[in-house]
Amino acid sequence: MIAILRSDLYRTVTIRSSAVSLAVLVLLGLLLGAVNIDAWALLAGMGAFGFAAMVVAQHYQHRTAFLLYLAQPRRMVVLGGQLVAAIVVATAFVATSGLAVLIRGESGPYEDLLTVAPIVAILAASCASVIRRSTWLLLGSAGWFVFVEGLIGRLKLPLPFTSLISAGAGDTRGLLIASLWASLAFVVASLSIGRDLTGD
Amino acid sequence: MIQVLGLTKSYGHLNVVDQVSFAARPGRVTGFLGLNGSGKTTTLRMLLGLTRPTSGEARINHRRLRDLRHPSKEVGTVLEQGISHPGQSGRAHLISQALIVGASRSRVDALLDEVDLAEAADQRTGQYSLGMRQRLAVATALLCNPPVLVLDEPANGLDPEGVAWIRALLRNHANRGGTVLLSSHLLAELAHLIDDVVIIVKGRVTCEAPLASLYDNVASRLRIRSRDQRRLWQVLESAGGRVTRNGDVLEVVGLTSEDVGEIAFQARVPLHELTVDPPDLEQIFLTMAAAR
Repeated sequence: MIAILRSDLYRTVTIRSSAVSLAVLVLLGLLLGAVNIDAWALLAGMGAFGFAAMVVAQHYQHRTAFLLYLAQPRRMVVLGGQLVAAIVVATAFVATSGLAVLIRGESGPYEDLLTVAPIVAILAASCASVIRRSTWLLLGSAGWFVFVEGLIGRLKLPLPFTSLISAGAGDTRGLLIASLWASLAFVVASLSIGRDLTGD
Repeated sequence: MIQVLGLTKSYGHLNVVDQVSFAARPGRVTGFLGLNGSGKTTTLRMLLGLTRPTSGEARINHRRLRDLRHPSKEVGTVLEQGISHPGQSGRAHLISQALIVGASRSRVDALLDEVDLAEAADQRTGQYSLGMRQRLAVATALLCNPPVLVLDEPANGLDPEGVAWIRALLRNHANRGGTVLLSSHLLAELAHLIDDVVIIVKGRVTCEAPLASLYDNVASRLRIRSRDQRRLWQVLESAGGRVTRNGDVLEVVGLTSEDVGEIAFQARVPLHELTVDPPDLEQIFLTMAAAR
């Protein structure tokens, strides 16, 4: 699992598009954090979800998952390593992009978002492992958030993104519900990790 | 050593691979031949644990892939025309894989030299030609210097020099006692490389044999030119040969060159040309594929 973790972290920093996206969003986060904490929190939450999903989804998009499973046929070990890599990337992104918030003395929002980052990462990486297509995952997540949680639920029902937002704002109940959603996603990912790999 | 034991893959009621069994032995290069859609790739994927078989199992060095302690030290694989992230350099791709399989950075540099990618090592693989991606895939497969190699269309996209290179590499690997299983549609190239043949047609193995024995079983064709083609045609047919005309040349199956020489001599027909056209792998393969 450590080998998968090290490899995926190395990949993240050596794939040019990933490295550039990380650098640009960290800079944007630092800028937003200096002027508007809510805007930073939104960017950091969405960025953490996107980067965590990317760690897993890019393997299926570019078929490097074949190489992963050839090198490590025990797929639960691969999933474990990828989830830890996603947690590291998402947490590091939130931590560095929020330095301006910390410097302003607003340690409360910074710590709240840092606490929820690993849960965001587990949810995103598990969903990416189940769906295996980054476009479907990102469009599906956006659609779910806007139509189901926003328009239908009015951001009041105990659904995944609503509870993540509450948790990011320091709500303990929201943190608990978000953890349950992340656990459920992990269980589904564990059950579906053995599916056949297709070439397309 | 690769053993495929009764592998079957079904989708609903359709068996795309049906009770496929064969072996690839150390010191030999085994060619796995089949038309598109014959179940070749599905079989290789089941062998490598990427697709779950409906029944049967595959073993590498007498164990299932998932039971191997260090799979990359036992089997190297080249699949699907070189797999890599297009935004990562060739060197970074190899280091990413080396981190998983426990190979050293010096091994990565040595392999980049071996596959002639040292100068392009820091280019993104998205800028690589198909041949360069194939070379990178071969380097990835060789990271742990495994004794077993499984390759799906390894010569795809390679220029003639690249084809000669991979042929030498695989032959040397087998000569050192390694096991090589490869599929390819470039039959003329395979004929110069493989020792054993496994032919799969519509999901079933129809032939598993040394290549030399297949050549022995298929009759050679003779090409003959003479001053009196009509007379020669008559005497060859009456001697049991199957004669066809191709331009000003008679093509004869069912007689040896010695037979034809004797028959022509007795019939007093001077020969201008008598050549033996040995069967090629493509001819053998198409004959067997059509027989199903």
